[in-house]
Amino acid sequence: MKLPMTLGGLMVAAGLFATSAHADKLDDIISSGTLRCAVVLDFPPMGSRDESNNPVGFDVDYCNDLAAALGVDAEIVETPFPERIPALMSGRVDVGVASTSDTLERAKTVGFSVPYFAFENVVTSNEESGINSFDDMKGKTVGATAGTFEAIALQAQVEEWGEGEFRPYQSQADVFLALSQGQIDATVSTSTVAQANVKSGNFPGISVVGKAPFDIDYVALFTNREEYGFINYLNLFVSQQVRTGRYEELYAKWVGGELPDLSAAGVTR
Amino acid sequence: MFDTALSAHDLLFLAKGAGVTLLVTAISVAFGTILGILCGVFRFQVGPYWASPVTFILDIFRSIPLLIQLVLANAFLGMVLKLRMSGFTIACGVLTLYTAAYCAEIVRGSIGSVPGTTRRAGRSLGMTWFQDMRYIVLPLATRVALPSWIGLALGVMKDSALVYVVQVTELLKSTQILITRLQEPLFLLMICGAFYFLISFPIARFGGYLEKRWSND
Amino acid sequence: MFNYTFQWNQALARLPQMLDGALVTMQIAILSMAIGVLLAILLTGCRLSGIRVLQGFAVTWVEIARNTPALFQIYMAHFGVASFGIHFSPFTSLLIGITFNNAGYLAENFRGALKAISDTQSRAGRSLGMTPVQAFRYIVLPQMLRIAYLPMTNQMVWAILMTSLGVTVGMNSDLYGVTQDLNALTFRTFELFAIAAVIFYVITKVIGLGARLLATRLFRY
Repeated sequence: MKLPMTLGGLMVAAGLFATSAHADKLDDIISSGTLRCAVVLDFPPMGSRDESNNPVGFDVDYCNDLAAALGVDAEIVETPFPERIPALMSGRVDVGVASTSDTLERAKTVGFSVPYFAFENVVTSNEESGINSFDDMKGKTVGATAGTFEAIALQAQVEEWGEGEFRPYQSQADVFLALSQGQIDATVSTSTVAQANVKSGNFPGISVVGKAPFDIDYVALFTNREEYGFINYLNLFVSQQVRTGRYEELYAKWVGGELPDLSAAGVTR
Repeated sequence: MFDTALSAHDLLFLAKGAGVTLLVTAISVAFGTILGILCGVFRFQVGPYWASPVTFILDIFRSIPLLIQLVLANAFLGMVLKLRMSGFTIACGVLTLYTAAYCAEIVRGSIGSVPGTTRRAGRSLGMTWFQDMRYIVLPLATRVALPSWIGLALGVMKDSALVYVVQVTELLKSTQILITRLQEPLFLLMICGAFYFLISFPIARFGGYLEKRWSND
Repeated sequence: MFNYTFQWNQALARLPQMLDGALVTMQIAILSMAIGVLLAILLTGCRLSGIRVLQGFAVTWVEIARNTPALFQIYMAHFGVASFGIHFSPFTSLLIGITFNNAGYLAENFRGALKAISDTQSRAGRSLGMTPVQAFRYIVLPQMLRIAYLPMTNQMVWAILMTSLGVTVGMNSDLYGVTQDLNALTFRTFELFAIAAVIFYVITKVIGLGARLLATRLFRY
């Protein structure tokens, strides 16, 4: 009788000890041996699937690099754009490597690292629509991916124009499908995605026609906003990726062309 | 139209999605039915007044879109309670309660369809409540309930298409993933629809057949 | 109690927008139900017509509507038919998808209801000199609608719940779409969707109550 009691006491004490020594997310990831990244996989070249439906892309490689730096295995969790933050908040993933714009509104809920990539937004139109610039979209039916930086900006623009229609689709793929089918006349998306989709040849009759006058869309890694230790690690990791030339290497591999500057002029972050 | 880039590998990918659909359905229907029978018997036994809390809770699952139920359960368990649960578990949990809510209605209705005189006759022969339920109500009520239950099970299979929202890659989601890569929406959607149809149609027909056969007497 | 800070104020401030969305949701449900009932009556007529082609058409419609997911039907109404160059707005696609589904299920309900009406009645009508269509219209139809009334109310609730699937075809003015848009802006997922759930609950209850009141007016004899 006495032995089980002692054992029980020991276990309770051990339990108390384990909870009192506060393990933060960084510790949790290292001890669990797996880093779970939220990645959007219909967003080429940042994330997509190859012929055997395995995840590939810039964000996938970035997640693998981060896992390697932490000395753990990477697990890619596919999340559609609108589900990125819920996936993090519900503990299904540890970090988002999902081309997420670091808006102030979102920073009220999640914690962002420094930018790890920067997008420019461009207008892609269906050739039959006769749209040749951003302003030509006035009064037309346009669409973008629900919950993204460019969708929020474009919707506001359509409301400001006071004519035309805005349609948010659930995924980038649905947007380009709708565009090539002629359901929408034009879309605003990040230049990398637009180029990748036009080049893929999957969508006949669409072309990139010009830049969208939105701010440069800096995207950052994100995790729970109170995990300062982990955010600090992420910041250093982003910096190291640039310093070691890995960022340039990945950019050349997946995107190509002129390397975007990750720092805004005149301010530190 | 049949000139497609769909490879054997992609078909396997679709089959995997179909497997997930069937697995989620099987788990939810199994647990949901047990829970539904318990709730249904309870509701019939204690009367509408005392059963009202159970009735109210079950009614919620029938009055709110499944999509919202899934999003809310996911947000509540994960964001508020900080429980680490897989999307699969949440999907099965929500669908189980969803099934139970409808199943309880079916069970209650079918017990009510057993004539009171028949049951009283059984009780007056000295049967206990359990014997009455087991030998009189169960066989008679099952005849009424089974066709509707088959309909419910098929309904849950079709509704399981919504679990994509908690990151479960079931059949429709797998189809969308392939559409992204192959850009053959119509063809792939037809395959997906045909799969649901081929599972659902024969079973629905079988349910209709049972209903017809059993309603003769 | 919870390691989570609820920010109901932020979500409640958006209530007017969500109520606007609820109106659109009800609009779609009511429209889809009205058209669905008419189509279901037509389909029932097709089934009774004895003409092979019409019967085949009606059976195909009903079986596809009943044996594939509603989400699939709506997705098909937007992206599927566009492969033939037919374009519908998200609103129309959603309306078509739900109406297609409603008509299929209602036609099946009507068929069940018809079994309860003995055909001696329509034969009696015919012997009074009514045409088959007149006999259907004045003798069978009123009884059929009355017997199928309860399943029709259930289908109405279904129609309300199905509007939430519109987001998959780019719909953002209905209750679910509005909620999702707000969620993308603020990420207060739990609060926003909890409010949406309450609104949906109230709508379905109001419809149930309304249907019962309507029934006492329609069927008093």
